[in-house]
Amino acid sequence: MPAVETTGAEDRETEPQGTGRRTFLKGVAVTAGAASVAATFPTTRRQSDAVVEELAKEHENDPALLIDLTRCVGCGRCVQACKLDNGLEWRSDQPAKGPDAALAWSNYSVVVSRGRAGEDGEPRYVRQQCMHCLDPACVSACFVKALVKTESGAVVYDGDRCVGCRYCQMACPFSVPTFEWDETFGRISKCDFCVDRTSEGRPTACADACLRGALTFGRRGELLTEAWTRIGGRPEIYVPHVYGETEVGGTSVMYISDVAFEELGFRTNLPDTPLPEYTWEITRLIPPVATGIFMTLMALYIKRRRVILEAREAADTAPEHAEVQP
Amino acid sequence: MTVRATPYRAATRSRWTFTLTPYRVFLLFVLGGFVVLAAYRFVNGIGVVTNLTDRWPWALWTSWKLTGVALAGAGYSTALLVHFLGRDKWHDIERGAFVLSMLGYLMVCTALVLDLGQWYNAWHPFVYWGYHSVMFELFWCIGTYTVVQVVEFLYIYEERVRVPKVMRTVLKKIYVPLLFLGALLPVFHQSALCSLYVLAKGRLDPLWWTLLLPVFAVMTSFFVGPSVVTMENFVAHRTYGRPVHMRILGEVVRISAWIMLAYFGLKMADYAVRGVLPELFSGSTLGNIALVELVGCVLLPALLFLTPSIRASRNGIRVASALAIAGVVLNRFNITILGMMNSTGEGMYRPSLMEVGFVLGLAAGVSLVYLFLVENFPVYSEDDVIASEAALAEQEAERKAREAAGVPRRIPIHLETRVEPRVPARTGSQRE
Repeated sequence: MPAVETTGAEDRETEPQGTGRRTFLKGVAVTAGAASVAATFPTTRRQSDAVVEELAKEHENDPALLIDLTRCVGCGRCVQACKLDNGLEWRSDQPAKGPDAALAWSNYSVVVSRGRAGEDGEPRYVRQQCMHCLDPACVSACFVKALVKTESGAVVYDGDRCVGCRYCQMACPFSVPTFEWDETFGRISKCDFCVDRTSEGRPTACADACLRGALTFGRRGELLTEAWTRIGGRPEIYVPHVYGETEVGGTSVMYISDVAFEELGFRTNLPDTPLPEYTWEITRLIPPVATGIFMTLMALYIKRRRVILEAREAADTAPEHAEVQP
Repeated sequence: MTVRATPYRAATRSRWTFTLTPYRVFLLFVLGGFVVLAAYRFVNGIGVVTNLTDRWPWALWTSWKLTGVALAGAGYSTALLVHFLGRDKWHDIERGAFVLSMLGYLMVCTALVLDLGQWYNAWHPFVYWGYHSVMFELFWCIGTYTVVQVVEFLYIYEERVRVPKVMRTVLKKIYVPLLFLGALLPVFHQSALCSLYVLAKGRLDPLWWTLLLPVFAVMTSFFVGPSVVTMENFVAHRTYGRPVHMRILGEVVRISAWIMLAYFGLKMADYAVRGVLPELFSGSTLGNIALVELVGCVLLPALLFLTPSIRASRNGIRVASALAIAGVVLNRFNITILGMMNSTGEGMYRPSLMEVGFVLGLAAGVSLVYLFLVENFPVYSEDDVIASEAALAEQEAERKAREAAGVPRRIPIHLETRVEPRVPARTGSQRE
């Protein structure tokens, strides 16, 4: 590469003064730094309303679940059906019903009693399960694609492929995936939206089991209309919010309630932007930034090629020379 | 200063040696404990040895991995400065930083395997490409970079041990590509490590959650490098009587100080833009911790580094370096534990004793292997080794004098095995 040779020679002449090179390096560093900072500021993100609208349209016909907390009496039939259908254990250390109920590897879903909530002081029961986000953070976080969103909208898990890094647990804004902590080779465990049933259009086991009409199974678009009809019909009772309509871009499991969601232990500070969008803001920059850094390194290397190689040579030849002697 | 061994010097030894001192026996003991714990963990699973729960799926081990990689950034920042930014005179500190960095990454890889539920599937990311995950980028970059560093170590290895001619030729050929990979890859996995937490929007406290997490991660890992090298130099001074390269260190920390100031400014600008400044100064626990991290462990050491008289004094540079390191450690623990605390609903994470044991064991392992490598491979420069030999000789003379005066001697245990040196002993002495 003759071009490189000349650059190297020129550099050797200017090197003793050093100032030219230093200015050049400073220029490169400042430009690269400023560019990366400017590029990282979230100026280009799509408007979250637009994203939510787009997602809602795309998943209008997905199977979905509407949970009406005003109708739930906490009987736990849904949880029972869930366990039976999925062959899950009943464990005393992992209650599926009551005040201490929590999602765990033996509980794809639970019904939590929330003490005396609301103005009437009556207990409320909150059913918890995977929300089956429209743009799931766990799926975007899984680096082996063990978690995928199926065409029917269910977020399902392949234990044989999973590595067990638990990034999905970190990623999930609803803390849904659970881990088999006591197993030698722990896997993730989560609700799969009864994918065998729902992909055929049949309701989930839990929705089938509910006698009070607290769980309604249907298409997401229709359920949203239904939810707002119920809220509109009795505005004195319902909180004017469908939890899951816009949270993290929208979910397939949605709640309506007569008590503020925050009081019932729901996370209410979640953005409307799907979480993977944030990561995308960063990962989309990788190729240009990598190219930029590579070019900078290349420029520096071409300038210093001879020095670098000479240093290597010097380190290499001395012992080689010694080895020949005996 | 009690010197008990000297670093390796070409052509003076034909054996692998390792001197056991009480401190090293203690480290070996800790490492042994780690091996037992690891076996226990592989039989019984993660839940048995840690206090991790579904609310705290990542905690101490993750903090430790993030910290380890950040501090191991010493390797790439030094390499960048020496090879690409033309600080050729800093060769004296380069290899030490490199070895430390390589061991840091090997430690993190070990910790990673320990932390995987189905670790035997660890090769899956190479086959099933979940490229939309930050973890994917992280896995590839850390994996490749660790391999690159181990291969780079062969350049040191072949100066000590006779290797096949083919290997030497190959090493010569791949020298420049390795140099590039070694500068390029760290930028990405350093940033990716903190980008992991970008998905925790709404859960990681806004004092630490920002889209600039990756930029901050790269900056912190870069500016902490010189501080790590400084501390390494001081520890080596105490262990081997290796000279402290005050002039070089002074120059390096000055560069890092400017990056620290830029980081501080950018961090403040980020707080201001996102409207988090009120929380920072609200007097809340998290706000105060963030202030300690930023003012006490970034701004303060930066100013100390920029003061010529402090930078030139041994205690000054040491204190400032310790502060800067503490700042980065604090930052990684803040992101992984304190910042997540409020959203878990379980309060502060309390690690189990065994969990802490793993961390200590890994650290002990790194220390021991570092000592072994330094004493058996040409890691330090020739001048450094001569200086530490002089220190050892001086100490030996003192000991003889004491012995003559009737004080009983304590013999350190030397472990030795034969090795075929690349440079036969007699050649080396001829060269001198």
